[in-house]
Amino acid sequence: MAMARSVGTLASLALLPKTDLKGLVERLMGEFTVVGPVPKGKEYVFSPIQSAGDLALDYGTTILPPKKVLHQPFEVLFSFHETEGICEAREPERKQILFGLHACDVYAIQILDRAYTLEYPDPYYGIKRQNTLIIGLNCHQVGPTCFCQSMGTGPGMRQGYDLLLTDLGDQYLVEVGSSSGEALAAALQLFPAPRVMLVEKEKRLDEVRRKFHKRLQTTGLHELLEDNFRHPVWEQLMHQCLACGSCTMVCPTCFCYNVVDKLDLGLKSGKRQREWDSCMLLEYAQVALGHNFRKDRDARIKQRVYHKLVYYEPQFSTIGCVGCGRCISACVKKIDFTETIAILRGE
Amino acid sequence: MINPFQPELARIVDIKKETYDTTTYTFAFAKPTVQAEFGFLPGQFNMITLFGIGEAPISISSDPDERDTFQHTIRHVGNLTNALNRLQIGDTVGIRGAYGTGWPMDLLTGKNVLIIAGGIGLAPLRPVITQIFQRREDFDRVEVLYGARSPGDMLFTDQYEIWAQRLGVKLTVDVVPRGEQWLHQVGVVTKLLAVMDSVPENTVALTCGPEIMMKFVVRDLLSMGFEPEQIYVSLERRMSCGVKKCGKCQIGPKFTCRDGPVFAYAELLTLPELELGGVGR
Repeated sequence: MAMARSVGTLASLALLPKTDLKGLVERLMGEFTVVGPVPKGKEYVFSPIQSAGDLALDYGTTILPPKKVLHQPFEVLFSFHETEGICEAREPERKQILFGLHACDVYAIQILDRAYTLEYPDPYYGIKRQNTLIIGLNCHQVGPTCFCQSMGTGPGMRQGYDLLLTDLGDQYLVEVGSSSGEALAAALQLFPAPRVMLVEKEKRLDEVRRKFHKRLQTTGLHELLEDNFRHPVWEQLMHQCLACGSCTMVCPTCFCYNVVDKLDLGLKSGKRQREWDSCMLLEYAQVALGHNFRKDRDARIKQRVYHKLVYYEPQFSTIGCVGCGRCISACVKKIDFTETIAILRGE
Repeated sequence: MINPFQPELARIVDIKKETYDTTTYTFAFAKPTVQAEFGFLPGQFNMITLFGIGEAPISISSDPDERDTFQHTIRHVGNLTNALNRLQIGDTVGIRGAYGTGWPMDLLTGKNVLIIAGGIGLAPLRPVITQIFQRREDFDRVEVLYGARSPGDMLFTDQYEIWAQRLGVKLTVDVVPRGEQWLHQVGVVTKLLAVMDSVPENTVALTCGPEIMMKFVVRDLLSMGFEPEQIYVSLERRMSCGVKKCGKCQIGPKFTCRDGPVFAYAELLTLPELELGGVGR
């Protein structure tokens, strides 16, 4: 995948003592809306923070991916009025920083960039994306459903970030990934770090790499899936799956939406809004007169899995799954498609 | 940044009732500059908006050389199309487009053309017919096979005699209600394949109609010796954007809104989902 925003070569390295993190985040909050992982019950969510202390940088994963701030669950496209016609009343977007994103989520944003900004660029996504800087954070732990290592998207972040933090104990190594990141690093007056610190970073990542339990063997995956479109495992899954759509709602690369018009009470005006949709839902592929192109649940399950693992490649020149594991942990019926792939492999 | 989701306002300048449930609307964009810049290929579609009701993809049914207006022939079977039925001349809708691939007009020159339509499926093929009619000498044998449920369901009934002056027209209906006179075939549209003059050699077949109809048309054409590369179909899918964003029209890696709605049958054979009786995997 091409580096969308990075400068290609490593511009500079810096060190950030952990005691300085709070001050740094507060300075960022002066200019940017800072969105980062914060606790919610026993889990974590990405949310705009009110103070640096809100950040929970030891989080494993969040309920929803950071996609929700770029491709919002509900978004008004425009409003319309009987006499005044169409009004596009978009607020000027404030610059924002997505802080503390893990490698899987950063990779997923690069996939969304391809879906949303190449042919027929989406202005709603595009403007938010242009106003967004990403400060990534390399993982120092591995969750039970994580398999980014198998997908080649993590745990070490390679691209897509403006700044990248790696926890080295009592300080963070800061790497610059783009010209915007370079400007940010300069403004923050970070301490330059010697290149040898990268060795320490790799040591830490190696420890992480040894912790993965969940795997998805990707060698020959396209061929495996293409050869097994009629495998009985799909029908077995059909009897487990509730077709609730949770897996697609929490997916960082799912981009489908439905469009609805909301009329105001006076019936003279209203707004057109888009809402996340899901290929797992019955109505998704239904047309007028009730014909449904994916009426059967197994057809919908296959649509999700094949789209992620096969179709993204010809569509966007990238795999569609980043191995974040959210669809596995969100599934009410504990369906784990890495296990499905293992079954297809006869494992 | 251009906003591809914002429709332009278009006025209904004429309404013609085709059948009890189908109407042809003639539109012109409210802004003359928008109308002047609007062009389309036969087989392309527009997204039509009724503000407060929603938006739906509808094929363009008029000739692309008519530059002052354009037409949509609409069967009133869904939320939006039923609401359209209540509009009158002078009323305004939102329209954006044109989208999609269109029929392979470049491929047809010098060839035999076989057009097979069922029901409302004649609407996206009418621009092909009128284009061929005007440039008749550019094509070899041209034949239109059209079927509908009953004589009362047939579209563009005043056109058949005109078309028949320059190309073959064969008609069929599934049923003839008692007491009605019907001088053509009775039976599903594939029955016309048995009596048509067309042969596979040097012919391109274009078909549009209900999915089940196209499935049998393709099956029969293949058994007659047509190759998958010679057959083009126009598919219907749910669409909420028309511009490769909402995702709903996907079939395998294809976006029907952009890669279609017109596909060569050979392309459909590469897709994993069973389309039109294709091989699947």
